[in-house]
Amino acid sequence: MSERKLKLLHMYPDVLDLYGDSGNVEVLKYRCKMRGIELEVSKHQMNRPDSADFSDMDIIYLGGGADYEQQLLAEDLMGCKDRIKAAYDSGVFLLMICGGYQLLGQYYKDSNGERIPGLGLFDYHTEASTNKRDRCIGNIVVETSLLGKPYRVIGFENHGGQTTGVKTPFGKVLCGNGNVRSGETEGYCEERVIATYLHGPLLSKNPSLADYVISKALERKGLDSTLCEINDSLEKACRKELFSRLLTVKASK
Amino acid sequence: MKLINSLTVAFGKAMVKALKLAGRDAGNFPGLVLWTLNKNYLKVFSADCPIIAVTGTNGKTSTTNFLNRLFRSLPKRDDGKPLKVITNMQGNNLDTGIGSMLLQYCDMSGHIDADYLVLEVDESHVPVIFKHFKLDTLVILNFFRDQLDRNGEVETLILKVQKFLKTYKGNLVLNADDPNVARLGKANPKNKNVYYYNVEKYEGATEELYEAGEGRFCPYCGEALVYDYYQYSHVGRFKCPKCGFGNIEPFVQIKDLDFDNSAFTIEGERYTAKHMGIYHLYNLSAVYAAAKLYNIDHKIIHKVFGSFEVNNGRLERFETADSSLLLNLAKNPVGANMTLRLLNQDKREKELLFVLNDNIADGRDVSWIWDINFSVFKGVTRVITSGTRAYDIAIRIKCSGYDPEKIVVLPDLDQAAEEIFKNGGVKYGIANYTAIQPTRAALKRYISENGGGKEK
Repeated sequence: MSERKLKLLHMYPDVLDLYGDSGNVEVLKYRCKMRGIELEVSKHQMNRPDSADFSDMDIIYLGGGADYEQQLLAEDLMGCKDRIKAAYDSGVFLLMICGGYQLLGQYYKDSNGERIPGLGLFDYHTEASTNKRDRCIGNIVVETSLLGKPYRVIGFENHGGQTTGVKTPFGKVLCGNGNVRSGETEGYCEERVIATYLHGPLLSKNPSLADYVISKALERKGLDSTLCEINDSLEKACRKELFSRLLTVKASK
Repeated sequence: MKLINSLTVAFGKAMVKALKLAGRDAGNFPGLVLWTLNKNYLKVFSADCPIIAVTGTNGKTSTTNFLNRLFRSLPKRDDGKPLKVITNMQGNNLDTGIGSMLLQYCDMSGHIDADYLVLEVDESHVPVIFKHFKLDTLVILNFFRDQLDRNGEVETLILKVQKFLKTYKGNLVLNADDPNVARLGKANPKNKNVYYYNVEKYEGATEELYEAGEGRFCPYCGEALVYDYYQYSHVGRFKCPKCGFGNIEPFVQIKDLDFDNSAFTIEGERYTAKHMGIYHLYNLSAVYAAAKLYNIDHKIIHKVFGSFEVNNGRLERFETADSSLLLNLAKNPVGANMTLRLLNQDKREKELLFVLNDNIADGRDVSWIWDINFSVFKGVTRVITSGTRAYDIAIRIKCSGYDPEKIVVLPDLDQAAEEIFKNGGVKYGIANYTAIQPTRAALKRYISENGGGKEK
């Protein structure tokens, strides 16, 4: 059996690193390591156009950032458009949180009324209320069918942007807001794309979702994509606790 | 004095009295009621004494308590009475908390008779509170990211304080090594009373940023800041290579650190401290700088630095017959990283208790724990987690590579206290904002039921 090795490109880790989002990379690294898979992480940083070879990657990751920071990097990101598009076309897994999610759509109109053009990789677009206090903040649970069977994903949302025009949402909202205030759906997904508002970080309390990303990346490379069970007793107990706390509250309303 | 002001004071005082009769602490409530009636209610108060305020993300309560202790140790008044120093020592640092406290001390005309007012003030409340009070000295400790879902971004807070400082002419005591703080030295170019403090490079300083930090770019010209070294987080000797921002001559510097003997030098004199955490030394440097402005006798500083402890969940020690636990509050990643630095400095084997809550005052979002750096975790034989988010912190520690078999999750604090003391030995404790007092209570309950060590 050939050695299992994956490459992840972490885009703008210094700028898009709100709310512990870099933890997603740490979770992927941990879960790969436990299976003897080497996950090599490289960075793409602002104003360093040749920092990484996108076409060589298996996973591209973008976290969330504040409005000011998103504006700063919009131009640099535009410069990566063709490389990201090529990676996407060749099946590289795209994982994007919050700001990353917004910037790959058509455009993002921020809370100052500033319109930041997106990469336009996907059809959706996002507009934020100019009232900076008008934000969707709180615990959120969504149910996704991306993994073949229904899987409940736990996270924390904190966004002013309202995203519309999503054709294939990531999941159905069980508790929280989602793409729009009091919305029914959350995020955007394809077989090899997850774009979502969920912080937490996303993968920390949803181990099957983390494993899905890893096995899809292995599969594309023609490597053995089976992942052995690891000790997830803490995650299981955590999920049980939070489901009973978050979902019963909702039901009793 | 307007009639309306007298009525406000009388009404406020009546509320404080009623709460006391009901056996309750005044807290924020009377201030909150007055604020609801009149947003400018703080103007009913007046004071002639110097007002010293402490603000910043981390270390406010400790620094304020040290200053309070110093001023209280000053010689008695000419009439033989002890000095009157008024402080909000329990961390009621919003305008409503401070208003409630002042109501207890003022006379019926709203006048506060004291020799010094030493106040801990929340960063975002500095402008509101000192719109009506003449501030003599403002000490600013640091600005870190803290409870993002409650407080918003750090930059917004800094700009708020900066706006207030534009017309401020009093003493300004600033951390020379935090670019977020040092930049405020130029907020009012006409103010000549700007004093910087810092701490000489210590043995745990790093060349690269080791913990999540803020403020990577020069606030004046936008150039990336260059560091000779980082003491912790983004605190360190920085400079802007383009405009020279950061080229600062400190008014006070702590030097020649001796961690084995808990000693250091300031202005050629040797001092000792109860704890040598690097962030604590920065607090002491700030305290010394403020003390210098009031010509406080060095003998008093020696005594307070060498013996005083805040003991309110800030580096507080809990002893049983066979173990000793050092508990420290951590509201944000930097706070937790500071305790981990102490833990890693300690060469012995130890166990860690981590209590994490997600109540409103903590910020509901606990993802900040992923910005804590657990990559160095020396000699930790077991971890006990507790609080409403006990599992979240357990998962966080596990994913840093720590063996999950050595993590015990006990959301109930009394069970967690029993578990952490089960084996004896060296213990460290970290608890976040709403968790700290319940954790102290649970540890004390365990000790009172099972016997303590050399308790004071």
